Amino acid sequence: MSTATINNAPFNKTRWERAVPVYGFPVVNRFFLVLCGMTLLAFVLTAYRELAGLGPVSGMNDAYGWGIWKTFNVMVLTALGSGAFAVGIAAWVFRRKKLHALMRMALLTSFLAYACGLLLLGIDAGRPWNFYWIVFPWKWNMHSPLAEVAICMSIYAMIPLAVENIPPVLERLWYFDSRLRPGVERFERRLHSFFPWIIAAAYLLPGMHQSSLGALMLLAGERVHPLWQTPWLPLLYLGAATFMSFGCVAGTTMLCCLVWKRAMDMDVLDEAARITAWLIFGWLALRLLDILFRGVLGTAFHFDRFAGVFWLEIFLTAFGGWLLRRSVQTHETRSMFLGYILSSVGGMIYRFSPTTLAFRPNPESLYFPSMIEVLVALGFVCMGIAGFLLIVKRFGILPAPLQDWHDMASYFRFRRPYIRWTGYFKYGFFGENEPTDSD
Amino acid sequence: MAITRRELFTKVAKAGVPAAVAITVGGEALHAESIPVPNAAVGLLYDASICIGCKACVGACAEANDTAPDTRRDELHQAPSDLNDLTRNIIKLYKPEDGSAFSYVKRQCMHCLDPACAAGCPFQALHKDAESGIVTWTADKCIGCRYCTITCPYHVPRFQWQGYNPRVTKCELCHHRLEKGQKPGCTSVCPTGAVIFGPRTVLLSEAKKRIKNNPGRYYQSRVYGETDNGGTQCLYLSRVPFEKLGLPELGPESVPARTLRWQRRLYQYFVLPAVLYVSLVQVIRKSLKGHEQEAHEREKETGLRAQL
Repeated sequence: MSTATINNAPFNKTRWERAVPVYGFPVVNRFFLVLCGMTLLAFVLTAYRELAGLGPVSGMNDAYGWGIWKTFNVMVLTALGSGAFAVGIAAWVFRRKKLHALMRMALLTSFLAYACGLLLLGIDAGRPWNFYWIVFPWKWNMHSPLAEVAICMSIYAMIPLAVENIPPVLERLWYFDSRLRPGVERFERRLHSFFPWIIAAAYLLPGMHQSSLGALMLLAGERVHPLWQTPWLPLLYLGAATFMSFGCVAGTTMLCCLVWKRAMDMDVLDEAARITAWLIFGWLALRLLDILFRGVLGTAFHFDRFAGVFWLEIFLTAFGGWLLRRSVQTHETRSMFLGYILSSVGGMIYRFSPTTLAFRPNPESLYFPSMIEVLVALGFVCMGIAGFLLIVKRFGILPAPLQDWHDMASYFRFRRPYIRWTGYFKYGFFGENEPTDSD
Repeated sequence: MAITRRELFTKVAKAGVPAAVAITVGGEALHAESIPVPNAAVGLLYDASICIGCKACVGACAEANDTAPDTRRDELHQAPSDLNDLTRNIIKLYKPEDGSAFSYVKRQCMHCLDPACAAGCPFQALHKDAESGIVTWTADKCIGCRYCTITCPYHVPRFQWQGYNPRVTKCELCHHRLEKGQKPGCTSVCPTGAVIFGPRTVLLSEAKKRIKNNPGRYYQSRVYGETDNGGTQCLYLSRVPFEKLGLPELGPESVPARTLRWQRRLYQYFVLPAVLYVSLVQVIRKSLKGHEQEAHEREKETGLRAQL
C-alpha cells in the first residue's frame, strides 16, 4: 500500500479540517492566575454560604426567591452553553457538514457551562443533601418543570455530554504513548458502536430541559409581565438558546483565532452566521407575533422599565441578526463578531428577564445581588474560562487548517524536543504513521 | 417476507409518530388535569367582616406549631410584618387612604385543591394529602430550591434565609393537632368566630348561608375559594374587594392546570420524547456512517489520523 503524504493531498490554506491544540503559549499566565484566584475566592465564599445560609450572603428575599445564581448562571449561561445541542443538531441531524469543524468547540463550551451551572445550582439549593432523591424515579414529581430541569440537566451533563467529549481525550492518549494505542483504538470502536444513541440523547435532553427552563416561569402566572408571560415561553426559551449558543460557539472560535493567530475558515463561519441569522429572525417573528396575538403590544409603549428592557432586547437581537446577515454577504469578520455578541446579549437579556427584570412580586419589592453573590457567580464563570484555556492548550479542540497540525508537530520536534509528554511530534510529520522501536 | 431487525425497528418508530401525536393532542381528560376534591377535605372559613384584628390566632399558631414568637421587629412583641420563616399565620390590615371601609385579613396557606406549590415541587416535599387535602411540607424531601415561593399565587410558603439547615414554613392546618382530635390553633382561640374549622362542604354551605342572610354585606356576594384557582380549602368572605386583601382574581381554572397544560401533555406517559429519541437515532446513525466514511477517506489522503 502506498503511503500517501501531505504532498498529494488536496490542500487548502484556510479550510478548517483538523482540531489542533493551541501550542507555543504557556497555560499559566497572569490572566489564568487571576481566573484561578477568582475561582478560589468563590470556593471560600461558598464554604461561608454553606454555614451561614443564603440570607447573609445574597440579596435574595421572600419576594425574589431566586437570585442570579439560578437566573444568570443557570438560565442564561446554559443557554450560551447549548452549542452541543444547536450546532450538533445542525451538523448531525440537518447534515450541515461544514459545522462539524465547530463541534469540538461546541461540546467543550457546553460541558463547561453546564458543569459550572450545575455546581452553582447545588450551592444555590438550600438543602442540597436531599438531592439524593434524584436516583429514585418514583419519587420524582413528573409534572414539575423544575424536576424536569434538575434531573434532565444532570443526566445530560454527566452522561451524553461527557461521553461526547471523550474523543479528544482518547486522541491525546493515542498520541501520548504508542503502547496505549491498541487499547485506545479498542475503546474507540466500542464507543462508536453506541455513539448514535448517545448523540441522540444529547439532542433530546437539552431540547427538553431548555424548554422546561421557560416552563418554570409559567407557574408564576401574572407576576411575570405580560410581554414575557406566554404559553409559548418554553419554545421561546429554546429558540433563544439555539441562536445564543451559535453565537457563543462561533464567537468564541473567532475570538480564539484572533488571540492565537489562527486562520479563519470563512466557509464555516458564513454557514454558521447564515443559520444564526435565520434562527434570530424566526425567533423574533415568533416573539413579536405572540405579543401581537395576545394583544399586549400596548404595554410595550408604556414608559416603564419593562418596556425599556423589552425594546433593548428586541433591538440587540434584531441588530445582531442584521449584522450577521450582512456579514455573510460582505465576508466582514468584524460585523460578524459584533453580530454574534449583540444577538447573544439580547438573548441573555431575554432569558434573564422573566425571573428578574420582568418579575413583579406582590407586594412590590426589590432585589439586587449582594457583593458575595456576584463574586461567587463570577468565580464559577472564571472557573469555566480557566478550564477552557487549559483544555484548548492541551487537547485538540480549536479547528485549524491542516498545515497547523504539521506546524505543531515540527514545533514540538525541533523547538521543544525536551517536552516529551506532548507526543504530537511522533506522528504526522511527513507521514510517519507507525511507532518505531525507539519509541 | 423477511425483515431485518433494523427495518422492524424503523417501522415501529414510524408507526409510533402518529400514535404519540394522537395520545399527546387527543387525550381529552388527562389524569393530571382533573382536579379531584379530597373525600375528607377540611379547611378554614375566614369572615373578614367579623374579625376584630386581635391577633390571638397569630400567637396561638406559633404556640400550636411550637415555633418561637417572631420578635425580630422590636425585640419585645410578637409583631411580624408579614408571613415569614417563623410565622405561618398573620393578621394584616387593609386601610384605604380615602377613609372608606377598612378590613382585617388573616393570611395563611389556602390549601388549594390543585396547589401550584406541589405541582412545581421537584421531589414532592410539598404534598397534598389525598384524604384531608392538607398541603404539607416534608423536610427530608425538600432540596431548598424555593420554587414554591415563586409558584404560589398567594405568596404563602416562606424560606428560612438564615442558617445551614433552612426550612420552608407554611400553614399545615395543624395536622398534628387534628390527629389528636383537636382543632387548629388559630380556630381554637378566635373570640368572635371569624375563623372556623370544618369539612370544606360544611364551611361552604355555612358561607353561603351567611351571604343569603346578609344580602349586600359581602363583596360580590360570593365565597373566595369556592372556584377561584380551581377551588381552595380555605374560604374567605369579605366586605372589601378580595384583591385588596391579597387574594388575586385568578379565575376558575387552577394555575397549574392553566399554565402547564401543554407541558403535561407533551410529557404524558413519555411517549412523544421516546418516539423522538428513536427517530433521532435513526437519522444520526446514517449521518455518522457518512461522516466516518469521509473522515477515513481524508485520513488516507493526508496520512493523519481521523478526528471524529
